[in-house]
Amino acid sequence: MGTRKKQETQKMAFSNTEVVFNNLFSLFTYLAVLVGVIVFALMAFLIIKYRERKNSQDPEDTPRLGRIPIVRGHGRNVLITVSLSTIILLALIIGSFAAVDTLLTPPNGTWCYGLYPGYGAQSPLNQDCPRIDVTGHQFYWEFSYPHALPHAPLYTEKYVFRVPKDATVVIDVTSADVFHDFGIIPFKIKTDAIPGRVNTIWFQPYQNGTYLIQCFELCGSGHYYMNATLIVMQVPQFQAWYNST
Amino acid sequence: MSPEQLPARIRRWLYTTNHKEIGILYLITSLFFFVAAGVLALTMRSQLSVPDNHLLSADLFNQFVTVHGLLMVFWVLSPFAFGFANYIIPLQIGARDLAFPRLNAMSYWFYLVSGAAMMMSFFFGGAPDLGWTLYSPQTSFKFTPTIGLNLGAAGLILIVVSITMSSVNFLVTMFKMRAPGMKLKHMPVFPWAILITIFMMLYAFPSFLAALLLLYVDRAFGTFYFSSIQGGALLWDNVFWFFGHPEVYIVLFPAIGVIADAISTFTRRPLYGSKYIIGSMIAAAIISFIVWGHHMFVTGIGLTSTKLYTVTTIAVSLPFDVMVIAMIETLVKARVRLKAAALFTLGAVALFVIGGITGVYLASVALDHALRGTYFVVAHFHYIMVGASIMGLIGGLYYWFPKMTGRMYNEGLAKIHFIFSFIGFNILYFPMFLLLDMPRRIATYAPSTGWAALNLMSTVGGFIFGLAQILLFVNLFASLRRGSISGPNPWEAWTLEWSLPSPPPAHDFDTIPAIAEDGTYHFGNSSGYPNGSGYPNGSKMGNGTVHSHLEGQSPWPVVVAFAAFIFFLGITIGQPSNPSVPVTFQPFWPLVLDGAILGVIALYGYSRERFSVHEETNVESWPFREVPNVKLGIWTFLGAEVIFFGVLIGAYFFVRTNSATWPAVGSLFEVRSGFAMTLVLLTSSLTAIMALVSAKVGSRNGLMASLFATFGLGVAFLYIKATEWISLGANGVFSVANGLPATSYFITTGVHGVHVFAGMLMTLYLLVNALKGRYLKGDYHAIEHFGLYWHFVDIVWVFLFPLFYLI
Ligand code: HEM
Ligand SMILES: [Cu+2]
Ligand SMILES: [Cu+2]
Repeated sequence: MGTRKKQETQKMAFSNTEVVFNNLFSLFTYLAVLVGVIVFALMAFLIIKYRERKNSQDPEDTPRLGRIPIVRGHGRNVLITVSLSTIILLALIIGSFAAVDTLLTPPNGTWCYGLYPGYGAQSPLNQDCPRIDVTGHQFYWEFSYPHALPHAPLYTEKYVFRVPKDATVVIDVTSADVFHDFGIIPFKIKTDAIPGRVNTIWFQPYQNGTYLIQCFELCGSGHYYMNATLIVMQVPQFQAWYNST
Repeated sequence: MSPEQLPARIRRWLYTTNHKEIGILYLITSLFFFVAAGVLALTMRSQLSVPDNHLLSADLFNQFVTVHGLLMVFWVLSPFAFGFANYIIPLQIGARDLAFPRLNAMSYWFYLVSGAAMMMSFFFGGAPDLGWTLYSPQTSFKFTPTIGLNLGAAGLILIVVSITMSSVNFLVTMFKMRAPGMKLKHMPVFPWAILITIFMMLYAFPSFLAALLLLYVDRAFGTFYFSSIQGGALLWDNVFWFFGHPEVYIVLFPAIGVIADAISTFTRRPLYGSKYIIGSMIAAAIISFIVWGHHMFVTGIGLTSTKLYTVTTIAVSLPFDVMVIAMIETLVKARVRLKAAALFTLGAVALFVIGGITGVYLASVALDHALRGTYFVVAHFHYIMVGASIMGLIGGLYYWFPKMTGRMYNEGLAKIHFIFSFIGFNILYFPMFLLLDMPRRIATYAPSTGWAALNLMSTVGGFIFGLAQILLFVNLFASLRRGSISGPNPWEAWTLEWSLPSPPPAHDFDTIPAIAEDGTYHFGNSSGYPNGSGYPNGSKMGNGTVHSHLEGQSPWPVVVAFAAFIFFLGITIGQPSNPSVPVTFQPFWPLVLDGAILGVIALYGYSRERFSVHEETNVESWPFREVPNVKLGIWTFLGAEVIFFGVLIGAYFFVRTNSATWPAVGSLFEVRSGFAMTLVLLTSSLTAIMALVSAKVGSRNGLMASLFATFGLGVAFLYIKATEWISLGANGVFSVANGLPATSYFITTGVHGVHVFAGMLMTLYLLVNALKGRYLKGDYHAIEHFGLYWHFVDIVWVFLFPLFYLI
């Protein structure tokens, strides 16, 4: 799996989806840490400063038995809190929208350079670029590749999913039995595999290597081993493999 | 079943209807389930501590993960909180008990037997093993042919019944039985939190009940809602999460109430912005019903709707923001007493901040494409459910322990308990945020994944946290006898429960307090309010004193619950455990019949028992001043019914719009018979009105005749319905082509038919009493209450008729 590889090429991402995730996750985390630190510092400071001491006395407005306590608190402070938070949250919403647009819409005229013979670099960008069908079964994944020849049967393989480096890979995910979820772990992308429905996601792998695919929805006794291997290969090797199928 | 045959102590607990005793029963039972579910969790953590481990088989692991979740969510968090609510809220609002004490006892016993059903599922072919979210279509009999799951579903149905009864009860109590002068705005935050929780329960749980019913019928009778592709996964997702998101706030809000009030007490200051805290809770409660799609971000519901759900979900973090900031501002210029209860509640706020911030991550549809189904989610909701809810409620346990027992707990030990819990908690759950690549609910993982170290750390934290809880039990148990005497108000708090002796006497208040315009409150005559009026529940003795615990006891609640339990066992455990298709209904008749007969006897005994609940005359009851308790109870119950039928009808729409073909109008269901049934039912609404009018004017014959006509029309309706059912059944309507039309028709009209039948039983009961000359003139209320119900049932049919017969 990709752990050792990760160390070698720290800065290089595995896929476009990972880049999208990392950027957005960092944005969230910067803001989360900022807010968290402020809140915790404030809490700790107040608790220490105002803790009960030997000679300290109850504040004037201490609630006492026999009387409903006074109502206090400024609407203004609430407004400030809400406005500040709204600014932060708006940034997060905008960032999320941009990211999800990328995640869910394959680039215009799906560019499947190198994916299949006949769809070369020079060929026009083609909407009908063939997709790969991914089907979840209890408890394995099955990958069906369209054949270069029209109307030829799909080529189907279990457990192993091969794609060429840098290609735009569009996959249609579904299930043959129960609710599964198809996730390529290092690529930070997943979608549900639901019987009777097809969910489409896409990614562009940046590096050769093997990556762990797992099911992310409890689907029965074999759920924990319901995994597969994604192999990203150089284009010529992929074409050689593909032609051999 | 005479009460005298049982030893007094057992009888006291079995038959009690006293809110304080029921509160204690709730607390003890929920702590028992807490330990049970905790043991499951520690076993799972042991299994996950090292990679490729086989301490637990995958099958057992899946059962543990599921039952752990179900128990914690349904059998621990809410009942824990409602133990306090039972005990404390009547004291805080100056009521002597809940509005319906026997109903309250029944809620508790339903809760207990529902838990028993859930636990028993382990011994019937294995407990539910597909996650507490019970995703479809794996719940279909085809994929999970175990009785265990049926039994689990039965347990859930029973606990929903329990929750519905107690929410109606609390709602009426809090709206109708507050001490004179106690406006809603005078209530502390805890009762407010419970009130808001109850509203969410009333509108969320019917959706869950409907979902469970459809699931149960699918599994027991072989219908097609969840086993078909048109219904299936997304139908469940929608109805489950429509309930599920409000549910996560339902388990949180009571703890927020405890936290807020305890913080005010231990900082010696009035809560900062308490009205904003309450307003925020109301806002969050409302928004919680429109965020369920964030659990479906990757189900393919479409880019636009996922974006909308991102916005609503992120928006719901704002009210929580206000709550937290207000609590922190309370600390300014305060005098913070760091007692154990304060440590737990302040600690809960800190953990809630982390849980809330990470919730915002999950609200982002983009991040959820990576985080969905990972340990990041697990970390998030444990920071909320354990960090905020459980820690807050444990704070409540320390806070109210002196009130409930009259003894102080050991402060030093409690502080050690806090330190270990807090540190253990973070070692347990923080690593899970870093495990954001690891799928949740996997039984084991390969060493090559690199997840081992963090998992081991988490397991160590789990044991620290788990073992720390022993300190809690030791402390409380030992302090029961040995703790120093606490006196009425050890924390110098202001809320009403602290004005009573610890523990309070059975009847709570010698005199009901009254709150004056200036916010001071008084006991006794000085306020000008009557003194000593009002009875403790069920007692026939006046002057506000109960002389023995025998009074206010009723054997029937526990018997009704037990009957329901056997009945459900009966219809569940007869089914053979093999996925024979099609599924046929095979109950274990002896138990079914026993349960039914016992149930009828018990309900009859319940209704005949002379158990008087005194309605105080001098109470604060805005906004429902004019409506008597029972009527308000019925109205709220009908509100829940609206959601219930709404979901059934919604499910019908869902499968219908997803189906490519649907039988043409008139081809399956005859319009004529539908029309006839409509006429019959509408007429029966008229006769129900006539019954009320006759009762009011005092005409016994008119009353009898109208009730009889109503009954007869009910018979006619059911007769037409039965002929239709039989002819449809004979024609093999459950063919594959008609599977869903038949499923939706039979289930929806069947549920409605059961309602009609229940209404007819009520008319029979009323008829018998009318014969004896009851209900005339001023005594007409029972007829009115029946009428409300009956009109509702008719209105539902007015919707069903066009939906099934005309379009
Ligand atoms: C601060 C506001 C909150 C936000 C923004 C939020 C957001 C979310 C989101 C988006 C998910 C879906 C994650 C996924 O399926 O991948 C989720 C899951 C969950 N949340 Fe929250 N949440 C919040 C507060 C709470 C509270 C208060 C509770 C409980 C007391 C809670 C309990 C849960 C649970 C149990 C799940 C897991 C559902 C599952 O099994 O998939 N959350 N939350
Ligand atoms: Cu799976
Ligand atoms: Cu939710």
